[in-house]
Amino acid sequence: MSLKKYQNELIALLTLLLMVTALFYKSVQVSSGAKQAAEREQLVNEFKEIVTLKRVWADKKISKKLDKLKELTPASKVKWSKKGKKLTATYTGLSASELNKLTTKIMNLAVQIELLDIQKNGSSYTMEFKCKW
Amino acid sequence: MNFMGSNKELLLIHAGMKRVFLSHSINVMLTPQYYTLKKEELPVKYLYQAKKIAPSLFDGLLEEVGSYEYLVYKEGEKWVFIAYNPGQIRSLLLSKGINPEQVGKIFFAQQAVEHFKAPVLLGENEALVTLDNTVVVVPQAALDEEVKPIRFTNNFTPKTGITLQGSYGSLLSMKQAIALASVFLLFAGMFFIEGARYAKGSTATIEELQELQEAYPSLQSKIQRESIADKYRSIDSKERRKREIIKSFSGLIFKGATLTSLLVNDKGVKAEFSCSDEKVAKHLMQLAKKEKFSKVKSIGSNTVQIEGVL
Repeated sequence: MSLKKYQNELIALLTLLLMVTALFYKSVQVSSGAKQAAEREQLVNEFKEIVTLKRVWADKKISKKLDKLKELTPASKVKWSKKGKKLTATYTGLSASELNKLTTKIMNLAVQIELLDIQKNGSSYTMEFKCKW
Repeated sequence: MNFMGSNKELLLIHAGMKRVFLSHSINVMLTPQYYTLKKEELPVKYLYQAKKIAPSLFDGLLEEVGSYEYLVYKEGEKWVFIAYNPGQIRSLLLSKGINPEQVGKIFFAQQAVEHFKAPVLLGENEALVTLDNTVVVVPQAALDEEVKPIRFTNNFTPKTGITLQGSYGSLLSMKQAIALASVFLLFAGMFFIEGARYAKGSTATIEELQELQEAYPSLQSKIQRESIADKYRSIDSKERRKREIIKSFSGLIFKGATLTSLLVNDKGVKAEFSCSDEKVAKHLMQLAKKEKFSKVKSIGSNTVQIEGVL
């Protein structure tokens, strides 16, 4: 009988409890969902970063691109040695503009510069360039 | 078998009855003294339509004290409307020694009209009889002596009855409770649905991640991913630094300052500049210091040596 006495209040209270439970469920899902979403986003960014880095520094076409360094100067001025994934190029008798072209090109190639040695001899330059990829 | 759960003792409440003392819960049936009856043939099909027009049918017929509620049902072709005052019924029950809490269902005599085949005596002076298919109270003196009265029993219990909602000191009426419950349920539903949607997560990110994992299976392992990332990050930062330094050296070449040597390797960078005079050399040194090279020194009068680390 005592329950019947307060049945209206009980109905309201039970539904209120249900609503509070639902609200709690939602807030838990929101916080855990946001955490998981942040983790997934971080993972996606990591993937993208690695893919981009690999694309730049492990470019399969870099060997061909390097060959263009040979064409920038007359063949008489360059000694070219490419073995596997390593290049040694020695340039002699370079003019200032040729040197500029070469250094600009080298700077734009995604290779690991092991050595870049430029020496001025009178009005010309010699350059030794070693790189790997 | 009574599936309506009204198998409790049925007590007929009338004006002349004495106070009772109850230790158990009961159902009660009220005599016509405590309700107002109307029977109408109306062009309505559904109960809810009939219930809607119930208050207008009793306009001017009811006392203006207290609020009335209505029981509506169909009897043959006619709609039966019973208007009752819950406050009045509560007072009546209390006056007869019945606590409203002890009452399960309340019925009206008219609901059991088919059982009043003979008079049911109400105390010593009155009786309940059926006239024109309506249960009414008449003086016992008016009864036909040849007709034997019948006893009022639990068999008179109709299928449906009313309850005095919120009549037990309740703070909320049934209507208020239902309204509140509806609002709470609505919000609960909304919160559950929203929660479920958050639980699923953003499908766009999940799909993108799946695509990346399928395209680059070697990167699925965290250890492998970190190892590859470390390798290329290190190369990237070192090589970018080398190129930045070479670029900054080219910025140091101006009229009067000539680069005579430049050495770049994995350890660092070293450059020598030949200047036309001391003034140029000094200016070059100032510029080099601004570029924050680790060592800037003058060799001889017009030669400047600059060193930097990666």
